[in-house]
Amino acid sequence: MKRRGFLRTIAAAPAVAVPLTGQQPAQQAPAGRGGMRGGQGAPELETTAADLTADAAAPSFFTADEYAALRALGNLLEPPLNGHPGALEAGAPEFLDFLIGVSPADRQKLYREGLDALNSQSRKQYKKLFGDLDATQADALIRPLLVVIPWSEDLPKDPLRHFIAQAHRDFRTATRNSREWASAGASSGRRGGRGFGGGTGLYWLPIDPVVRG
Amino acid sequence: MAREDYDVLIVGSGHSGGMAANILTGKGISCLMLNAGPQADFARDRVAKPVYELPYRGFGEPGRHPHIYQADEFNANQWVDEREVPYTYDPDKPYNWVRVRLLGGRSLFWARESFRLSDFEFKAAEIDGTGESWPISLADLDPYYSRVEGIFRVFGRKEGWPQFPDGNFIEIDYGPDSQSIKKVIELATARGIGCSKGRGAQGQNGLASSINLLLPDALETGKLEIVPNAIVREITTDRNTGLASGAYFIDRHSRREMHVKARVVILAAGCLESTRLLLNSGIANSSGVMGHYLIDQIYGINVVASVPEARDGKAPAGLMGGSVFMPRFRNLKKDEKRNFIKGYCVRVGSGVGASPEMFALYGAELEKKLASYAGSCLVGGIYGERVPRFENHVRINKEVKDAWGIPVLHIVAKDSENERNMAKDAADTIEEIYHAAGWEMVSRTERYNPPGYSIHELGTCRMGDNPKTSVLNKYNQSHDIKNLFVVDGAAFVTCGWQNPTMTILALAMRASEYCAEQMRTGSI
Repeated sequence: MKRRGFLRTIAAAPAVAVPLTGQQPAQQAPAGRGGMRGGQGAPELETTAADLTADAAAPSFFTADEYAALRALGNLLEPPLNGHPGALEAGAPEFLDFLIGVSPADRQKLYREGLDALNSQSRKQYKKLFGDLDATQADALIRPLLVVIPWSEDLPKDPLRHFIAQAHRDFRTATRNSREWASAGASSGRRGGRGFGGGTGLYWLPIDPVVRG
Repeated sequence: MAREDYDVLIVGSGHSGGMAANILTGKGISCLMLNAGPQADFARDRVAKPVYELPYRGFGEPGRHPHIYQADEFNANQWVDEREVPYTYDPDKPYNWVRVRLLGGRSLFWARESFRLSDFEFKAAEIDGTGESWPISLADLDPYYSRVEGIFRVFGRKEGWPQFPDGNFIEIDYGPDSQSIKKVIELATARGIGCSKGRGAQGQNGLASSINLLLPDALETGKLEIVPNAIVREITTDRNTGLASGAYFIDRHSRREMHVKARVVILAAGCLESTRLLLNSGIANSSGVMGHYLIDQIYGINVVASVPEARDGKAPAGLMGGSVFMPRFRNLKKDEKRNFIKGYCVRVGSGVGASPEMFALYGAELEKKLASYAGSCLVGGIYGERVPRFENHVRINKEVKDAWGIPVLHIVAKDSENERNMAKDAADTIEEIYHAAGWEMVSRTERYNPPGYSIHELGTCRMGDNPKTSVLNKYNQSHDIKNLFVVDGAAFVTCGWQNPTMTILALAMRASEYCAEQMRTGSI
């Protein structure tokens, strides 16, 4: 599927190739030391987003057992519904493996210990890992851990409940902010708001950033 | 080549700095404005992007803005990066310091809610029986408020209530209230709570900033020069007179240090940055009060109810939608006995949905519930007034320096029982109204955001008549150094529940006119 997306993008590129060497701006800019002459006439070439051409690399932050539990948790909390992709179809576990891997230590600890606790409880209750549970077993384990959160910053004090609440929130965002979710919304004529449902927003580029040598 | 000295050096370009430049240049006074950050180009610096194309899928770069709840991945680059300009606090007293250093400062992004303070705030000590009053009253500021409201094109509904002063408003049609809002108004009114509508600045072309409403006119006079990327490190004083003589500043890119001379220095860097600059300069603090009495508003509590008839998409036309605004209604009478002083305003909005975390569900069950409650809910929240307390303060932390080698602020701010009791009273009041209406309570919390979240940090150089208990006089002028003014929110004595922008602007206008007159007469 990724490859097809890539080919579609190539096919959509302009039929007439831009002769790179033939571009001459009306007024040449002063030559810089790097030899970039006349840059204002340079064509903007069609490019393709990386995730249309490649799959995420193998999970690098979580262990195999943790990652299997993470996938199972995502599949349970955010299943495919009403024509929209679920967490797995949206690549949410792969994304969270990356995101948590570059997150502050307390968030990494929350996830690691949460997934380990899930596996531990699962072993105790069913003698197998959380990723190997069927839907009924997973529901029986997770449902008692769900809590109402009236204030977004007031996550549960119990570490496992805290992890489940945070993971639920993260899976929801990672799924609904995915390209796959946006494609499903576009094909059904639905439009999501910013932040959820593949919405579009005005992104501030770095503004006159300080360049450090 | 020696540079020409300027009449006035203005540090900061937001609402207060913009107003100072506007007033002073209008009187023929030459001004130099130094701004710590660059100028943003709204066309060049923003691009439309789908959220899935952002590097972190909308989550934002982890750990980049840990204290800016308002930040998301779209707007992350507009805020000051804490890694460049850090601040410190005690681990058990978190503070959210939300800053913008772009030209125009936070005036580029404010919510545009536009209120006057009332004498319940200006004369707080008389109302509360404790604390300090301002050295001015509403009557002193009234003509300036009116002029500011004209410039910013403030709309509002006049009520004639002393705790919610009317102003020079554009009248707008708020439209008819929905049935659910009418019910809230009926029940609130029966409990002695006045119900009105929000007030806000229309500005021009959707922007109510110094960069479009104040600075263009100042530049037009030919008397203003603006230098972006100029980070002021220290205000200098004349060794013989003790008067302010100018400032050292650092070029943000090259880190080259320069000095500029001026006859008068006006600080408008945004409350805590102005105070940080003064503390780092070691001046104007004979009172010992500088840095103290840090205040802002509590933003929060969340009380949500659902109207049963509006569920499952079956709301009849006119039942849901709209909002009601209840300005302060507590402690307006001397004999009122409550377990807190001061007050809060309530805003209730109708026609919203429930949030996923209001239900202990997941998957299809959760989606079904959310779909059922969509558009059927009312949500109530408050802006409440924090009490000015000496112990809530900022000081210089010499152990930590920013990216330009300037010592940072250590911020100490903690709430008291007064704030917690106020929030509980608000949640109880809103819940009681929902119950009386016969609606289903969905969620309730008395929690509110930590200090600083409102982005309305105020105080730390408060004004007053007594130089021993205040930093500035009633014209925002330093008691110690008469050619030094602080015209941003640092001058506040109390914060009120109101968005402070109109008051900051009115004070900056008044102070600038006073300054110009003092310069004309040669007093400074």
